[in-house]
Amino acid sequence: MTSERTPGPQVGRSPPRREARAKLSGRAPYVHDLVLPGMLHGKLARSTRPHARIRRIDTAAARAIEGVHAVLTGDDIRQLIPQPYHGPAFHDQPILALDKVRYAGEPLALVLASDPHVAQTAARLIEAEYEELPAVYDEVEAMRSSAIVHDVLKPAGTFPDLKHLAGKRDTNVALDFHLRRGNAARAFEHAEHVFEHTFKTQQVLHLPLEPFVSVADPGERQLTLHTASQSPSFVRIEIARLLGWPENRVRVQVPFLGGGFGAKVYVKLEALVAAAALIVRRPVKVALTMEEQFYTLTKHAATLRIKSAVDAEGRISARECEVWWNGGAYADIGPRITQKSGFTAPGPYDIEHVSIDSYALYTNLPPAGALRGFGIPQLVWAYESHADMIARALSIDPLAFRRKNLLREGRAQATGTLMRDAALDTVLERLAQRMRWDEPFERGSGSVRRGRGIGIGFKASISPTTSVAIVSVSADGSCHLLCSTVDMGQGSDTAMAQIAAEVLGIAAEDITVVHPDTDVTPFDMATLGSRSTYHMGNAVKRAAEDARDRLFALAAELGLAPETTPIPEIFRRKYGMQAGNVVGQGSFVPSYIPTDHASGQSSDVTPFWMVGATGVEIEVDTETGQVKVTRLVNLADAGRTVNPAIVDTQLSGAAIMQLGFTLFEQIEFRSGQVANASLADYKIPGMHDLPPLIENEAVTAHEHGGPFGAKGVGESGTFAVSPAIANAIEDAVGVRVTALPITAEAVYRALRASRGEPLAQ
Amino acid sequence: MTPFELIEPRTLDEALRLLDPADPGVRPAGGCTALMLMMKAGMLVPTRLVSLRRIEPRYRDIVASDDAITIGANASLASIEHSARVRDELPALARTLRTLANVRVRNVATLGGNLAHADPHMDLPPLLAALDASVQVQGRGSSRYASIEQLISGYYETTLAGDELIVAVRIPKRAARGCAYRKVTTRSADDWPALGIAVALEREGERVRAARVVLGAAVDRPTRLLAAEAALQGTRLDETSARRAADAAADEARPSEDARGSAAYKRELIRVHVRRTLLEAWCDEPVGAVRQ
Repeated sequence: MTSERTPGPQVGRSPPRREARAKLSGRAPYVHDLVLPGMLHGKLARSTRPHARIRRIDTAAARAIEGVHAVLTGDDIRQLIPQPYHGPAFHDQPILALDKVRYAGEPLALVLASDPHVAQTAARLIEAEYEELPAVYDEVEAMRSSAIVHDVLKPAGTFPDLKHLAGKRDTNVALDFHLRRGNAARAFEHAEHVFEHTFKTQQVLHLPLEPFVSVADPGERQLTLHTASQSPSFVRIEIARLLGWPENRVRVQVPFLGGGFGAKVYVKLEALVAAAALIVRRPVKVALTMEEQFYTLTKHAATLRIKSAVDAEGRISARECEVWWNGGAYADIGPRITQKSGFTAPGPYDIEHVSIDSYALYTNLPPAGALRGFGIPQLVWAYESHADMIARALSIDPLAFRRKNLLREGRAQATGTLMRDAALDTVLERLAQRMRWDEPFERGSGSVRRGRGIGIGFKASISPTTSVAIVSVSADGSCHLLCSTVDMGQGSDTAMAQIAAEVLGIAAEDITVVHPDTDVTPFDMATLGSRSTYHMGNAVKRAAEDARDRLFALAAELGLAPETTPIPEIFRRKYGMQAGNVVGQGSFVPSYIPTDHASGQSSDVTPFWMVGATGVEIEVDTETGQVKVTRLVNLADAGRTVNPAIVDTQLSGAAIMQLGFTLFEQIEFRSGQVANASLADYKIPGMHDLPPLIENEAVTAHEHGGPFGAKGVGESGTFAVSPAIANAIEDAVGVRVTALPITAEAVYRALRASRGEPLAQ
Repeated sequence: MTPFELIEPRTLDEALRLLDPADPGVRPAGGCTALMLMMKAGMLVPTRLVSLRRIEPRYRDIVASDDAITIGANASLASIEHSARVRDELPALARTLRTLANVRVRNVATLGGNLAHADPHMDLPPLLAALDASVQVQGRGSSRYASIEQLISGYYETTLAGDELIVAVRIPKRAARGCAYRKVTTRSADDWPALGIAVALEREGERVRAARVVLGAAVDRPTRLLAAEAALQGTRLDETSARRAADAAADEARPSEDARGSAAYKRELIRVHVRRTLLEAWCDEPVGAVRQ
């Protein structure tokens, strides 16, 4: 509480994360901790088949277990919700499997009991009779496979560019995005050099340390959901739609999240607990185990073919990209990833002739969705590996090749949208300086060889999306900030408080940030795609300005000096005592022009561009193929940084996550079954895997449309890590790996093959 | 996890009486670090756990005599790691423990539990086998000794009867013995090893008098690589002889394929890391090594 009006600038300083103490002392509340009176625990029985018609689900043995309150299947859900399908792009995902299962691990039945152990024991007794169907797992095969995952396509209707797919049969293509600029075909005919390479990425997992969890509490008039969600507003709208209720009868509350990374967006367990709670008229909690995360949402595996025409001087004149995204059994946000990442598939280069085809595909694997980069890390893996392969073939330095082709400020990008406030050149030059690229490099000796590599990527923000914020000033001058941005570990509470405080002229520490509660906090599209700092930041700034303007107007009305009168004095003069509120409101939705379906062209595809670059120094053990990253340098354009310390940790956190995706993380499938669904068998980087030297830098920059010049940064650190490492490996030992993950064995096999002594399988 | 009965007897005799070889639901429990994971995963559903943590404190002692170091089965891995005796006389054991799991696990996991678990990915069984350790096994009114190879009979399998408990591990002292263990991980640093290689070399002047080379993790139980051992016998250990022994090891080993690597790749890793471990063991200089 304060009436201090001049605490100094709030944006650009690094107050500690406001939740840090509560989290470190174990006092921060999470949904996993929540217990409600009379609450039942739900445990799922899951499909054992990747693709099959369900003949019968046998729940008798489960029902016979003492303490089991109810067992629900898709048919029970259909009694309550006649069309129990959800999804942000397609209404394709049933709450519990109906008629058929489309991946091994798909939820089949829910057992409810007061004791979770009883529910778990009973869930293991549920069996189904199946009629097996042919299955498809590979994204390229899915284009032509006779195995069809969904009999008919059901676009949700929210995205105009999916409407042409409504009712389409006998296809696994959930979206095709095409972009044509210039005449690529003709440019290839006249090209000096043509390079074509194909790259692969693997399925990996978000793996937040807090697994998915939701609780539904059916009240007299309202259904309340307590859920670990990145998108409370979307959940409210989607649950209301499923139930045929008005939005205000569904209330969604979200405390802190133990990580999200794109997994906890849209509807995950919320429809299931909502339906179950309404059927049994008791609160229902479903908390997944770590293992069950492997059956909920993954990151798209992709196959990427990229072809470039390059002239004698090393300028890229044409580029053709074909990308196949393995979306798994349900589309989730995959079609959006296919389209939005398609915008930037040719990379941050100034290329006259461009042709892009990007396909979202259904397969019989667990669904894939957004994961810290929205498809961009997959694309950068391809185009930045490709860049070094071209540069090497033409004996051009990789940095010089990039400088020669870089997309400069004011130039039109492949979609036709002009580059504005995208510090690609500054980021590349600062990376080169930090890497001391023009200085000699120690190459190692014996069985330890050293190399270095760089990569740079960029991203168009998901658009158009809406954020609304409310700032409420109390009579003593203290403030509440109401917004539905979810602080899932990225520090948004702290940053939003700084933005509001900057406007109001108070200290950020004196603002209380109210966590998402759809009865209280206003609409926000979701916390995803690094959109919050820019979109919600703008809404918060406007709400704070509105509150400030109202305070000033009130002061003027009372004959007080608006700028200098302490806030409590204004309220005392108005209400005669410490009483009242001043409430400011702000909303933000950027401009957007949809791309033309045939050409993919638009003059306004994004409100802002994100830029991320990484340089690495590595050591390769030539006897084992083991790669050790000894130095990791991450550069980004985050506009003006709201909280430099948080930006720094966002960059290193993202880069370390991508380091795991690059070197060893991989969900392994055998005939559609996950073979390593545990933290013992799916490894993520630990402290001992961190490079000894990690440097992060947000370059000096300003985003014209951002709050105080700021923009998002949560994903930028992931963009270029993978190709930088692959490029450094070639620099060190002369072999090229084109599929992720780059395991020690993959490098060793490449080394053996390059010596003409390939290792047997 | 399904609820279960937990009993904490105060004596070893009482613990032995509480075990029931006829009932697979009754299990002894040490530090519970592996047991709890198996129970959470539903792989093991015991009805009764007989915890050994409150039995007589002497089963945690680390005792040195003229010819051996004897470690009580209830000793925590951390207490072994920090024991001055172990550090001085078996530095390779102390070094190995520093990268075994993590400090939270080492603080509660016990030596006896580690061996009885018989997970092939464990670091200690191959190392203790290389050190020629013997395991003291107590039954109701009976006591026997077993080598590590006799104790661990397969993948998560031991020769322990349902009413037998490991009470101590005896590691014989040897003159001029150098020892080293290498945990080889191929994914994250804290992954289960793709292979574990333990080497103990007894010197006679500049030559190898006796060698023990034991492979773990890549095979279903700690396995001595006898051809490699034979190749080392009587040699002067240098890059060439180490390479020859490592080639013999790679030829005789039968590694299995898993997520950590193909069999062919693991064979190459064995070739590289047996050589490196041999050279490391040759330079290992225990403090206060006894002269026989």
